[in-house]
Amino acid sequence: MSCSHLTTAWSSSALASSASTRRSGGRLVVRCSLRELRSRIDSVRNTQKITEAMKLVAAAKVRRAQEAVVSSRPFSEALVEVLYNMNQEIQTEDIDLPLTRIRPVKKVALVVLTGERGLCGSFNNNVLKKAESRIDELKQLGLDYTVISVGKKGNAYFLRRPYIPTERTLEVNGIPTVKDSQSICDLVYSLFVSEEVDKVELLYSKFISLVRSDPIIQTLLPMSPKGEICDINGVCVDATEDELFRLTTKEGKLTVEREKVKIETQPFSPVVQFEQDPVQILDALLPLYLNSQILRALQESLASELAARMSAMSSATDNAIELRKNLSIIYNRQRQAKITGEILEIVAGADALA
Amino acid sequence: MKLNLYVLTPKRIIWDCEVKEIILSTNSGQIGVLPNHAPINTAVDMGPLRIRLLNDQWLTAVLWSGFARIVNNEIIILGNDAELGSDIDPEEAQQALEIAEANMSRAEGTKELVEAKLALRRARIRVEAVNWIPPSN
Repeated sequence: MSCSHLTTAWSSSALASSASTRRSGGRLVVRCSLRELRSRIDSVRNTQKITEAMKLVAAAKVRRAQEAVVSSRPFSEALVEVLYNMNQEIQTEDIDLPLTRIRPVKKVALVVLTGERGLCGSFNNNVLKKAESRIDELKQLGLDYTVISVGKKGNAYFLRRPYIPTERTLEVNGIPTVKDSQSICDLVYSLFVSEEVDKVELLYSKFISLVRSDPIIQTLLPMSPKGEICDINGVCVDATEDELFRLTTKEGKLTVEREKVKIETQPFSPVVQFEQDPVQILDALLPLYLNSQILRALQESLASELAARMSAMSSATDNAIELRKNLSIIYNRQRQAKITGEILEIVAGADALA
Repeated sequence: MKLNLYVLTPKRIIWDCEVKEIILSTNSGQIGVLPNHAPINTAVDMGPLRIRLLNDQWLTAVLWSGFARIVNNEIIILGNDAELGSDIDPEEAQQALEIAEANMSRAEGTKELVEAKLALRRARIRVEAVNWIPPSN
């Protein structure tokens, strides 16, 4: 047939892009038979159904991811409170812990959190681009680096680029659990304590809203004993301020509310005794804190991925609807033209006979 | 007098209820905690946590290391993971112990040996927690 898939694809994309090209696109499609147009409309309709379903699935999953964050809140609140209290109590003591030791930096481990699947817009690309730019920065500073990639998409990316030293690739299936964060935690812990690397940075997408997430870099190790969360430039946020995101519906549309929660810290009581050496207690506490930070990052990254997929699928659905509409118009025009042509033929034939 | 016991993990709240007494495995040995205990901070070792309920029944939970803080009759235990004894399947725990023992005898190299030892210890603690017979008093 005269109408190849390529021409239909081209003409329809021209149609979808702007109204002014509609006419030239319409002319091109004329070469298509009616039957082909009809099958194309059907296929667009199917695609639209699929993208719509994927959007709904992503929305449901965002809600579950959010429940996971909420159910880990009592733990993280208690942890921050305890850490804050501990810090008050041991301020006067000179404590040397392996996790807080600041060494001159020679090698940096970069933990990159990406998604497990595609079809989520530029989510994975944004993270990987940020990783590339950070790697360039480290190179310019003359520092050695190694990458720990978490998530299938990142793993594939670094596998294709053997010139980037990759320490380990990990995967997280479904909602991140303590086990997932523990394996990352164990790995960075052993790298840091064995002095193979002198700094561990975590790169993940911070969930901002359903349509926006920013890739950010956070310093994991060395840890500040105060429990502050620091970015790479050393700007620290007090960990007692915690943000919580909540998915709600507003006028029939999904929206996200971010809540800032200030955790109440009680005044510390000076009579509290330490059953063991404070060093030993912090040794038990800091890995817990490290783990909960990694878990939190995994959860944020998953929420961002699902939100990105939701909006990508939502715009895909919109595009499919528009494309279908335009194709239907062309189809109807052609059908009408064909009928008109047939009537003319009949009338002309009848005239000739008369 | 009662104690408020909270056992928290990132996944969920394992325990949030009033109790009469607990026995906690710390890094420096087991300690019993009764109401009006002196306020302490302690690191928690891998091991069983025995809980005496208000009706004098005993319950067992398993803690995989963490931290505990006891202040004003309030006990907060933080850990990455914890299990209630009633959630552990005795047969499965026994099987896991046998597998761990078999792995232990097969382990080669320091790293494997350390891992096998750890796994064996975990399995033992779980079996102990399930089979523990509470003191009758």
